[in-house]
Amino acid sequence: MTDCLEIIDVYKDYSGLAVLSGVQFTVKRKERHAVIGPNGAGKTTLFNIISGKFRASSGTIRFKGQDISRKSAYALNRLGISRSFQITNVFQELSVFENIRSGVRSRYGLRYHFLRKPDSNARINERTAAIAENLGLKDVLHVPVSALSYGQQRALEIGIALSTDPDLILLDEPTAGMTREETVQAIETIDRVTAGLTLIIIEHDMDVVFSLADTISVLHYGKILISGAPDIIRSDQRVKDAYLGEDHL
Amino acid sequence: MIFQKKASHFVIAVLFLVGGLAPFALRQYQVAMLTEIIFFALYAVSYNLLLGYAGLLSFGHAMFFGTGAFTAAVALVCIPGISIWSDIFLAVLMAILVGLVVGSLLLRTKGAYFALLTLAFNSLFYVVATKWSSVTGGDDGLSITRPNISIGSITIQLAGITSFYYFTLVIIGMAIVFCWYFTHTAMGRTVLLIRENEERMNFLGYNTHISRLLLFVFTGAAAGLAGAFYSLHFQFVSISAISVDMTTTVLLMAFVGGTGTFWGPILGTFVYIIVQSYLSDLTDHWPLFMGLIFVFMVLVMPGGLSQIIQKIPGVFSGKSGDEPGDRVVTEETIL
Amino acid sequence: MNEIFVFSLHGLAYAGLLFLVSAGLTLVFGMMNVLNFAHAAMYMLGAYFSYTQVTTTGLFWPSVIFCPLLLFILGALVERFLLRRVHIHGHLHELLLTFGLAYIITELVKWIWGNYPLAVNITGFLSKSIHLFGIIYPVYRLFVIFCAIMVGVAMALILYKTRMGIVLRASVNDGEMVDALGINVPLVMMGVFAFGSALSGFAGVIAGPLLSTYPGMAHEILVDAFVVIVVGGFGSLGGAVAASLLIGELQSFGVLLFPKLSLALVYLLMAGVLIVKPSGLFGAKQ
Repeated sequence: MTDCLEIIDVYKDYSGLAVLSGVQFTVKRKERHAVIGPNGAGKTTLFNIISGKFRASSGTIRFKGQDISRKSAYALNRLGISRSFQITNVFQELSVFENIRSGVRSRYGLRYHFLRKPDSNARINERTAAIAENLGLKDVLHVPVSALSYGQQRALEIGIALSTDPDLILLDEPTAGMTREETVQAIETIDRVTAGLTLIIIEHDMDVVFSLADTISVLHYGKILISGAPDIIRSDQRVKDAYLGEDHL
Repeated sequence: MIFQKKASHFVIAVLFLVGGLAPFALRQYQVAMLTEIIFFALYAVSYNLLLGYAGLLSFGHAMFFGTGAFTAAVALVCIPGISIWSDIFLAVLMAILVGLVVGSLLLRTKGAYFALLTLAFNSLFYVVATKWSSVTGGDDGLSITRPNISIGSITIQLAGITSFYYFTLVIIGMAIVFCWYFTHTAMGRTVLLIRENEERMNFLGYNTHISRLLLFVFTGAAAGLAGAFYSLHFQFVSISAISVDMTTTVLLMAFVGGTGTFWGPILGTFVYIIVQSYLSDLTDHWPLFMGLIFVFMVLVMPGGLSQIIQKIPGVFSGKSGDEPGDRVVTEETIL
Repeated sequence: MNEIFVFSLHGLAYAGLLFLVSAGLTLVFGMMNVLNFAHAAMYMLGAYFSYTQVTTTGLFWPSVIFCPLLLFILGALVERFLLRRVHIHGHLHELLLTFGLAYIITELVKWIWGNYPLAVNITGFLSKSIHLFGIIYPVYRLFVIFCAIMVGVAMALILYKTRMGIVLRASVNDGEMVDALGINVPLVMMGVFAFGSALSGFAGVIAGPLLSTYPGMAHEILVDAFVVIVVGGFGSLGGAVAASLLIGELQSFGVLLFPKLSLALVYLLMAGVLIVKPSGLFGAKQ
């Protein structure tokens, strides 16, 4: 099986402060890959670099064999990489429907058309409704985001990430701020809606991580400590010392 | 939403109907004033697509208006026998070119930086128009004669005030309706979404720089069309058409009417031109009062006149007008 | 050779004036994140106040003190009663407000002083010319250069060497935190805006005898100051110094070398910077 994403020796520093120092791992196609690590390990920075928000100071990133290290966010999205945000980052004033449709119509190439109206495109509207339904947002389709509950906003966050039909989806702490039960339920949903896609997820709840992921990469002080199957990670002494030892075992 | 759209169709129909009948009830000078209101309304509507929809504060809209006005006038002077259609087409084309060149320089900027640069570029255009007097007539301006319309063997006289009024009503009216339609198109929605959350749009595959450029050029073309009608209407153009004052004028028109709705700037233009003609009879210092009205509105009534009008139905049904749904920039409530 | 020397001094004098205007503009922008379109209008008020003061009393020196003081008070009032009110509506409204104020001030000036140029006549030592390295040069232009250097040095010292400077810079980075430390941030902001206005008023007083005083002077200097900010980089004091020098000299030698193109040169420079380095020569990356 070919690799979906290869991250090769990626460095990132902000005016001298090193955040990532030589990150290296690969993600296979259709893999469910979790990135874990203590706060400040550089997980979100890594996502920002993969998704094109920032450029790496050095290093290479390949997506389906193509070097994407210097591409901007919109170009990466068109190649099939989509992401969600740790802090809900949606169109607050607009309805759930228009939020999701923004990505759907982008996928269908209806971005800058001066004559065609998204309103009258049945395929786009159907696809939008389907995504919303899949995430349990069917009843609030025409409600502005600001009127949604927190859980619904988090679901919408994922819905928007899914809306461009990505091959690779990056979810940055999709369960941030949720209770234990909500988290378990949210992870079930994520598992269901991302079936068939390559998934990279940042998640703090270790039980959830170990049940969901095929492969786990442990990021520690800007480096990948180890990358492997959950069993290997669980039994690795370095991981225990560096991360799990602190408060989980 | 469906109701709102029907309401818009209704507004359009009423405006055209009233516009069509108006010359029967008005004196000649009033018809001339109404002509002025119509093309300035397009100018204000195009400006509001930048300010109200995209959240881009430009102090350079007069460079499009002026380019359109001067191109229309210069073409009439330099190309004998040019048809009115080619004349208008050239004016819009030049405005588009200006939009592309200036827009590509500005496309990465927004906010205060964008505002500053548009003002600087407007000043550049003004300086060029002043210095290039062999073409623009400099401080003296250019006088032109309005050509007639020829469609095949039929010729329609445009020299009269009323006939030019109807010509303006049809052409500019259609342009305004297209601007309204534009706000529902993919591009129109994209512009609104970028203003709401540009970062997210980038992560959804939208090139937001290009989007801004396209919008800038589009609004420029519309303003250029308005400028061409300005020249044709007054049969004269001077450098004031391309000055920063002309930008201030459109800002006031749009803001007084309300930048939160599509129709607000049209109302604003109407009010502005009526108030201006009234004030300028009373005092030479009418711009001062316009300025005071503007600052007052920025301070007290940022939603403009349409904010008040929107509150009225709320008063009757006992609802407060400050519910989130009244923020017209959001999706459903834009007419 | 002498000609080059004279023109570079002319350039320096205009650069000095440009710096005085753009320093206040960039200070207010850097500290408050407000691009003050009324800044140049306040500069013009400074020039007109000074004109009235000089024509009634015949003395120039008092206006160097009093006019900036008047503008300081005006700036404080504008910040306290107008700008602060629209702050909650966001930057767009702040820009609109300052633009509206500029418009009103310009119209008021036309009403009160008339829509024609006025000359501020100075007497005494400042009106003389002196011998300087083989040329005769007006003292007043040297005085302008001197004032700009003094203001520049003083601002740098205040911002980087005093406790007040630390508070100011901290307020920009994290207003809430500074607020929590018991410093009155709104008062600081009012002070900054008032100081910026006073600075523009000072520039106006200085400009009076150098250029003519007329209602279009605000717009003229505003555009040049904007070019300084674009070229130098937003909110950068060092950038303002460098860009003022560049544009002052460019204007001066432009008149000498390409009289027809001189006005366009400045814009060409700005367009060039926009293409090559949109954040300005000294600006941080966006």
